[in-house]
Amino acid sequence: MTSPNEHTPAEPVEPAEAPANPGHEDTPWERLHPLTVWAGAAATGLVLGVGAVVGTVVLLVTGASLWALVPVPATVAFVALFAWIDLLRLRATRYRVTAERMELRSGIISKSYKSIPRERVRSVDVNAQIHLRLFGLCMVTVGTGEKIGSGADQIQLMFISAGQGERLRRDLLNRGPAPAEARDEMPEGTDGTAPDEVELARLSPAWFAYAPATGATVGVGLGAIATLLGINAQTQGSVWRWTSDWLGLPSSQEMASYAASRLLLVLPLSLLGLLVSGVVVLTAVAVETWWNYRLTREADGTVRLRRGLLTSVSLSVEGRRLNGVSFYEPFVLRSVGGACVRAVATGLSGADEKKTSAKSRLSPHMPTGRARSLAAALMREEGSPLDTPLARHPRSALRRRRTRAVFVSLLCAAVAAALMWAHTLAQRAWWEIVHEVEAEIVPVPMAAQTVESAPVWVWGVLAVLFAVLAFWYAQGSYRALGHGVHPRYLVVRRGMAGRDTVALERSAVIGWRISRSPFQRRLGLADVAATTAAGEGMYAAADVGLSQGLAWADEAVPGLLAPFLVHGDGEGAEPGEARP
Amino acid sequence: MSTDAPRLRPPRHRVDRRAVAWWTTRTLAVTVVLTAVPVVPAVVWEPVRLWFLVAAAAIGGLGLLITVVMPQWRYRVHRWEVTDTAVYTASGWFWQEWRVAPMSRIQTVDTARGPLQRAFGLSSVTVTTASAAGPIEITGLDHEAATEVADQLTDITQATPGDAT
Repeated sequence: MTSPNEHTPAEPVEPAEAPANPGHEDTPWERLHPLTVWAGAAATGLVLGVGAVVGTVVLLVTGASLWALVPVPATVAFVALFAWIDLLRLRATRYRVTAERMELRSGIISKSYKSIPRERVRSVDVNAQIHLRLFGLCMVTVGTGEKIGSGADQIQLMFISAGQGERLRRDLLNRGPAPAEARDEMPEGTDGTAPDEVELARLSPAWFAYAPATGATVGVGLGAIATLLGINAQTQGSVWRWTSDWLGLPSSQEMASYAASRLLLVLPLSLLGLLVSGVVVLTAVAVETWWNYRLTREADGTVRLRRGLLTSVSLSVEGRRLNGVSFYEPFVLRSVGGACVRAVATGLSGADEKKTSAKSRLSPHMPTGRARSLAAALMREEGSPLDTPLARHPRSALRRRRTRAVFVSLLCAAVAAALMWAHTLAQRAWWEIVHEVEAEIVPVPMAAQTVESAPVWVWGVLAVLFAVLAFWYAQGSYRALGHGVHPRYLVVRRGMAGRDTVALERSAVIGWRISRSPFQRRLGLADVAATTAAGEGMYAAADVGLSQGLAWADEAVPGLLAPFLVHGDGEGAEPGEARP
Repeated sequence: MSTDAPRLRPPRHRVDRRAVAWWTTRTLAVTVVLTAVPVVPAVVWEPVRLWFLVAAAAIGGLGLLITVVMPQWRYRVHRWEVTDTAVYTASGWFWQEWRVAPMSRIQTVDTARGPLQRAFGLSSVTVTTASAAGPIEITGLDHEAATEVADQLTDITQATPGDAT
């Protein structure tokens, strides 16, 4: 291997053409790590290389020996091109951290200059995928919570050495000039606890038992099996034939008829199969994501999350930007006594809500009690804000949910009636077509047969079942509603499928949004939402009584709403005012 | 509930009366375009002419109803107020929304006017905070008044310390 330094000849660092930085022009610009190019080339080379070798073998076997000369050289050329472009990018990129700002200059063709004041740095994310770890590199993402330059609200460095990443993380969040000793103290991302660190949580392997407790487990299993079936269909069923020959299984027809005669046994078994494959996949994902999980608070208040088996992740959030905690209990997890904790923080927002919530996760699925104490520790409060007594919402909120359940039930009844009608009409020929299509896709076709042999009234039973479910959901969804005020936090709770209790710092509220649909106006209800820079940007007490919600908002942030409130039953009262 | 149950009082100022004309024109334009969409296949394609004409009539009827009802309704709801400490707005018609943002948390204040708004001599003021909940908008102000409001807001927010998060 040639010395990496050959690829980055010392270039004179020209003075910044961008806004001058008086007094700090002496801070040297730093480069990305030269091994970046090698790491990138190795990763693409490995992925493409395997494909190229397989391609060559296939071409040789099929006798197209001239074409067999193509894949490997083409791959080499592609990887070289890729590496060259990466090298240009690497040479064009410079960054530095001065006492006031972090600056990044980059771009091969169009040059870009990004500069953010250090006091605006909200979070630092140090991320190392497996191929980067082998080369001792890492990717650093600096989040600011606001847009810099065109679009993105973050600065990314791809890639610098792990030691540099750790130093950068400390410097950026510690504020002030970089302490000289830190530069030598942390050569690599060590795992030992520094003396001034407080450990908030550490992985207990038993928690992985909670990992598959999601509503999607069966779905994930279905996905895994559907992928296998897809591969089978792609190869015109040869995979299945090969497997069944090898295992000496009876033919598909025999198996299908055998299964059809024992449906009561086969159906639960196949469900169990789906469940087991879902459990395997989800547990594997959880182990990859949360291995080495540690959550610590550093001396300066920064909260640091470390996790990851193959891809190691270190996320640091400045203490005063952690504006609250979301205590999340999805239905299935809740029913087995589990929960997880997410951050409500500025500077963690992703492109959309889903990414934001993925980035905000501060814990794996864990026992409810443990999650509660972790949330309390994160908020540094004696009495946990989560234990604040929550006020009930008016009964009309329940009425609103029941009305929705009625509509769902009516819809189910209509669909069931249509299906019953179709079922009685379905002809022999029609079923033949369905069976043929199914046989194409599934090696042991049974689903259509099950439906065909089911009596007509099954649809009616299903509709009734769904209706009962809808009313039960309405009840649960109403009981989840609640809002309260803690001396430093406001607390809202909602959600049946995913119950979410959010504690938001009262000082982080930057406005209110009260919205009412026509139905809510009729019932005297409103959604009273606190807007904030943190997390999802808005946390609402849903379907709260209007005056109840306003009183709550007024208590949570004194003075803000007060000038716009009137008390008593004076004139101008809106129709449908919340009744006792 | 007790007699001192709080209620929201409407913000002090109505928007400009010309906003009604602006909303009417805008809704009418959208209605015309949407009604025209099923008319084209109705003209070209004989066998299904009836169905497409029925669809056009339904869309057109609903559009006209909204055109007549919505602007007046909106005019009764839309209101705004700027105090020394906060911006307070009410908007919407079928779905209604009240927003409050304190001066100390305001990041930017813009005025904007589309071609149609300009034709009616109107402007909108957009007040941005750090929240992802979206900016607060006061639409349908007289152009002069909008500029005044924006200047006033800018002055107050500049005098208020803090980084607005």
